[in-house]
Amino acid sequence: MTRHELATRDLTLRYGRTTIIDALALSLPAGRVTAIVGPNGCGKSTLLAGLARLHAPSQGAVVLDGQDIQQLPARELARRLALLPQEASAPEGLTVAELVRFGRQPHQGWLRQWSAEDQQVVHEALAAADVDELADRPLDTLSGGQRQRAWIAMTIAQQTPLLLLDEPTSALDLGHQIEVFELVRRLAAHGRTVVMVLHDLASACRYADHLVALRHGQLVAAGPPGEVVTTELVRQLYDIDCTLIPDPATGSLLLANVRRAPRFNIHPS
Amino acid sequence: MHGNTAEDGLQQQPVGHGYDRATAASAPAGHWCLAWQLGGARAPCSVLVDRRAFLAALLLLLGLLAASFAYLTMGSSALAPRAVLSALVGRGDLMAVFLVQELRLPRLLAACLTGAAFGVAGCLMQTLARNRLATPGIIGIDNGATAFAVASVIGLGVSLAPPAMALVGATTAAALTFGLAAGGGTRGYRFIVAGIGVGAVFGAITQLLLAKVHIDTANAAYPWTVGSLNARPAGAVTLLAVGLPLGLGTALWLTRALSLMRFSDAVASGLGLRVSQRRWQVLAVSVLLTGLAVSVAGPVGLVGLIGPEIARSLSSPRGVPVMASALAGALVMVLADLAGRVLLSPIEIPVGIVTAVVGGPWLLWILLRPASRNLA
Repeated sequence: MTRHELATRDLTLRYGRTTIIDALALSLPAGRVTAIVGPNGCGKSTLLAGLARLHAPSQGAVVLDGQDIQQLPARELARRLALLPQEASAPEGLTVAELVRFGRQPHQGWLRQWSAEDQQVVHEALAAADVDELADRPLDTLSGGQRQRAWIAMTIAQQTPLLLLDEPTSALDLGHQIEVFELVRRLAAHGRTVVMVLHDLASACRYADHLVALRHGQLVAAGPPGEVVTTELVRQLYDIDCTLIPDPATGSLLLANVRRAPRFNIHPS
Repeated sequence: MHGNTAEDGLQQQPVGHGYDRATAASAPAGHWCLAWQLGGARAPCSVLVDRRAFLAALLLLLGLLAASFAYLTMGSSALAPRAVLSALVGRGDLMAVFLVQELRLPRLLAACLTGAAFGVAGCLMQTLARNRLATPGIIGIDNGATAFAVASVIGLGVSLAPPAMALVGATTAAALTFGLAAGGGTRGYRFIVAGIGVGAVFGAITQLLLAKVHIDTANAAYPWTVGSLNARPAGAVTLLAVGLPLGLGTALWLTRALSLMRFSDAVASGLGLRVSQRRWQVLAVSVLLTGLAVSVAGPVGLVGLIGPEIARSLSSPRGVPVMASALAGALVMVLADLAGRVLLSPIEIPVGIVTAVVGGPWLLWILLRPASRNLA
C-alpha cells in the first residue's frame, strides 16, 4: 500500500488581504495522529480547511502523495481524504444509518448507487464508531457525543486513508471527549492518518503522535509532543506560565500550576 | 466491546472477507434496489428508489390526474364526465369538443406546465439557500421577470418578446439579489432580505410602467401584475413546454448533488461535491424555469412555496423531492385556477390572487411556527 503523505509547500492562505497562514512548510506523518494546536485566531482551522481544499491557497500548495490537491478531481480527493468540519449540519430527520450511507457517495455514481460492498462498509463503519445500536435513530435525537461518533462513522465509511477533524471534541463533555479520542486512536492503529485541530494542549499531548503548533499563521514547533512541548512553547503560544509534569499513568505531559505570564519581567534574574 | 466486525471496519481498504462483488446487496431500509448486470466483468449497475418518495410522487400524480379531469368538466358550463371523455377524442357535441379541446385543455396544459416549473424552481432555490423561505417568488425573481415582461408588453421600445424579456428580468433580479447578499452567501436572512428588497423595487417599477401608459394598455397588462392563465402570450407556452422537460431533466440529474447540498458546504465538499459549480447549475435551472413560467402566467410565485412544501411533507427526508415538487406545483396550480374559474363564476378570479389568498396564510404559518425549521 502506498504511504499517504500529506504535506504543505510554502502554503499561504488569505482571507481578502489578511494573511492567515504564512508560507507554511509542513509534513504530516502517515499513519499517525497529528494535532494542530495554537491560540485562538492562529489559523489552525484555516490550515485544516486548506488541507481539505476548502480554501484555495494564494501561494504554495498542499501536496498529497506528491500531487498538488488542486489538480485532483473532487471525487478522487474525497476518496483519499475525509473531512469532518466543526459545524457539520445535516438535513433534518436523517437517521444515523442514512448519514453514514452518505459517506459512500464518492464511491458511487448514477448507475452504481448501492452495492454489497457499500452495505458491508456502512455496516462496519457503524460498528467501528460504536453507533450500530443507534442506526435507525434520527440524528437530532442523539446526544452530542453520539452525534459526533455518527459523523465520524460517516467519514469512516468514506474509506479514506486520511481523516481531517476540526475540533472534534469542542462541544463535548469529558466522557464524550474520551470516546472520540479513543476512536481516533483506534483509527490510527489501523493505519489511518488523522489530522485534528485541537483546543486543548493536554489532550493533544495525550492523544497525538505529532504536534503542529501555530502562532500568527506561522509554525512555532512541530514534532512529537514529548519533545516539542516545553514551558517556553506554552508561554509563546498562550501567554501563560505553567509547570509541565508527566502523567503518572501514561507519561504524557500535563499542564499544572497554570497562570498568566507577566507582561514584563519585574524581577529580572 | 468491539467484535471482529467493528475492528475490520477500521481497515482502510475492503479486505474482501465474507462478501464478493457479485452478491446482491439488500437495499437500505425504505428503498427498493434495482440491480442488473451488464456483462460479467463489469460491476453491477444499481439504482436506489426511495419507497416513500416514489409513493408520494405516485399519489401526487393521481391527484393531478383527478384534478385535471375535474378542471375539464367544471366551469361556466359544466360538462358531464362522459361528455368530456368523448370530447377529448373529438366525438360528441361540437360545443363540448370546442370547449374541451380549444378552451379548457390548452389552459389546463398551461396550468400544469407553469405549476410544475414554479414547483421545481422553488424546490431548487430552497435547497440552494437551505431555507424554505427562499423561493424565487420571495427573493424577487418573479417580480423581476414580470417587470421586464410588462415593459415588453406595453412596448417600451424593447423589441424582445415577453418570454425572452421575462428570462432577462429573472436573471437580472437573481444577479441583483446574489450581488447584494454577497458576503452572506446564499445562506441566512441576508439573502432573503436582499431578495425581498429587489422584489419590491421591481414590483414598483412594474406599477410605474403601468401608471405611465394609456389606461387600455395598462388594462391589457393587468393580468401580468397578479398572475393569470387567462391571457397566455402566444409562443410562451411552447417555449415553456420545451424548457420544462429540459429544466426538470437537469434537476433530476442533479438530485444526488442536491441531496448533498443540504449539508453544510464543508461536508458536501468533503464528500466530493463541487459545491460552487453545482450551485451555479441549480441557480441557472431555477431562474430559467421561473422566467419561462412567469412569461406564461405572471408572478404566481407562491406556488413555488406551496408545491415543494406539500412535496416535502409527503416525501421522505432522505432526498430532495424534485419530481414530487413538480407534480405538487402542477396540482396546486390546476386547483387554484379551477377555483378561480368556478368560485365566483361567471367572474373569473386570476389564479395569482387565489394562490395569494391560500399562500399568504401558509407563509405566515411558516414564519410564525415555533422553532421555525430551516431545511438544514
